[in-house]
Amino acid sequence: MSAAEIADIELVGVTKSYGGNVVVVDNVSLTVPRGEFVSILGPSGCGKTTTLNMIAGFHEPSSGEIRIRGRNQVGVPPEKRNIGLVFQNYALFPHMTVQENVAFGPKMKGQSKSETEEAVRSALKSVRLEGYESRYPKELSGGQQQRTALARAIAPRPSVLLLDEPLSNLDLKLREAMRIELKEVQQQLGMTFVYVTHDQEEAMSMSDRVVVMSDGVVAQEGRPSEIYQNPVSAFVADFIGKSNLLPVKQARDHDGRLTLTLGGGLSLVSERSGDIPANDITLCCIRPENVQLARKGASGENLLTGRVDKLVNLGAHAELWVDVSKDCLLKVQVPVRRLQGIEIGSHVDLLIESAAIQPLAH
Amino acid sequence: MSKLLSVGYWVFFSFILLFIALPMVVVLAASVSPTSHVTFEFWTWTLEWFGKLWTSKWLDPFILSAKIAAIVAVISGVLATLGAYAVAYEKCPGHDAIMSFLLSPLAVPQIVKGVAIVLFLSSAGLFRYLGTPGLIAGHIILTVPFAVRMIATSMYNFDKNLDRAARILGASWWQRIRYVLLPLIKPGIFSGMTFAFIISFNNVPLSLFLVRPGQSTLPITVINYFEYSLDPILAAVNVASLLFILAVIFLFERIGGFTVQIHGGSK
Ligand SMILES: Nc1ncnc2c1ncn2[C@@H]1O[C@H](COP(=O)(O)OP(=O)(O)OP(=O)(O)O)[C@@H](O)[C@H]1O
Ligand SMILES: [Mg+2]
Repeated sequence: MSAAEIADIELVGVTKSYGGNVVVVDNVSLTVPRGEFVSILGPSGCGKTTTLNMIAGFHEPSSGEIRIRGRNQVGVPPEKRNIGLVFQNYALFPHMTVQENVAFGPKMKGQSKSETEEAVRSALKSVRLEGYESRYPKELSGGQQQRTALARAIAPRPSVLLLDEPLSNLDLKLREAMRIELKEVQQQLGMTFVYVTHDQEEAMSMSDRVVVMSDGVVAQEGRPSEIYQNPVSAFVADFIGKSNLLPVKQARDHDGRLTLTLGGGLSLVSERSGDIPANDITLCCIRPENVQLARKGASGENLLTGRVDKLVNLGAHAELWVDVSKDCLLKVQVPVRRLQGIEIGSHVDLLIESAAIQPLAH
Repeated sequence: MSKLLSVGYWVFFSFILLFIALPMVVVLAASVSPTSHVTFEFWTWTLEWFGKLWTSKWLDPFILSAKIAAIVAVISGVLATLGAYAVAYEKCPGHDAIMSFLLSPLAVPQIVKGVAIVLFLSSAGLFRYLGTPGLIAGHIILTVPFAVRMIATSMYNFDKNLDRAARILGASWWQRIRYVLLPLIKPGIFSGMTFAFIISFNNVPLSLFLVRPGQSTLPITVINYFEYSLDPILAAVNVASLLFILAVIFLFERIGGFTVQIHGGSK
């Protein structure tokens, strides 16, 4: 980020603790440039909502600093922060129509009647909810309520929009459709989005950048593909997508190529020595889709043989659990058309690209 | 079996309805009784007793009672809303204890309260406040706990996220109260005020101590009259006040829309 650009949101060493000893958010630092879609992703209870509430101003951090467009926000109440927030349960005003709900923000900010009407019209247009102005929230479907909540949050044109698991109450089909719409709205408005979710697919599909949180700390931060391909820890590898995490007994470095010795006499070669010293390597991560079925009689490195223990056909592809050694079950994802002749109990040869094996320290 | 149950259910249900309605039916019949001894004759009836109510003997106490009840309802509504806000909404320190304290007058018999108020007024040299001011004050003490209860319930049910949503949209404290909290707890406030009105309008035990001679509330006037005579005019008074109260409930419901609150319906 260039110096001229002001980050929309900056968290500097933000910590939140309750009662002095329960640390819920621990020394989180985060920079969100203007117009970026950032997701905070993590399991339940990891402190996502708490972080969002601190940005919104509902909680004050115990220590650290929060800046919005360069201005320190300590002591600034939520109503003065010019931030939008979409709640998980939408929190629509039940006694107001869609029109009144969406008009609430502009009205409270003292905009004129015509400005307010214009803001409502354009917000409802952005979320494609024209024609529902006079309905009450209880007369709307879940998806329409969701759109109303989004329209209400963007109508006052906040500098930043925070979203706390906004899609988690919708069914899968609608959730997938809304992902695309949300992203479109964000790009169309050029608004900075901070999106909290525990759904990794959501985070991966919409975000410019993902911040993975675990137990109140940032476990990893980066572009979605970066995080998927180069998880820095077993936690991230496991949380984002599916993975095989295999314990490594010993690792040796030969000019950037690592030889990993696993249990049961297995040995793999990895081309990604990375920054981790060979001595610190305790695990390696292999994505199921990076394990291929090898032709019979193939030879070379990273070739494993095993017995199919479980087989789940998922339509487009199938998942195999292959027993490659006494204590090592490898998850493998193969296209269904390659399944011919393979059933539970069959012996298969597996091939793993050396570039697809990610050594991990923890 | 289930048929038998359902027959039993209806029999029982009708019995209860009858039990509730019977006194009213009797009073209604008595109020149109053709003779001054209360008699029941379906074929002859008269409205003359209602006509007799249109004298200052009955109108003055009625107006006094209605006036007191209206003032009590408004003041109780305001006080109870403020109390419920602090206790149930803001959850001020010690809110549980304060809530119990606010509700505790319910446990004190009204006679005891009446004696206490009179003793207080006389020992504090405020005896001249007997009559309307004393009645209003006494009835407020009596009705506030009921009103607090009803209003606090609607505040407990209020989704705090709505307040946060309004806040992040830029609404100040007062705007949030005005546009979000009050509209949503309005049914609670109006049901609390309705209760206060009815309790005040019908009150006997407390008013007995607080009325001053020559200036009596309607229920006290009825009781005094009853000591000397039992004629259909009493029944007519009762029917008339019943109709009045129904009208008040209807009016408050139109403004406050609280049927939902009382029936817990899903509107
Ligand atoms: N007032 C509080 N006092 C003590 N601990 C709290 C308080 N509020 C939250 N916590 C704890 O902080 C942790 C993080 O909570 P938070 O709501 O931020 O989680 P989250 O990541 O949003 O989870 P979810 O995905 O379930 O919404 C939880 O373990 C919770 O128990
Ligand atoms: Mg949460």
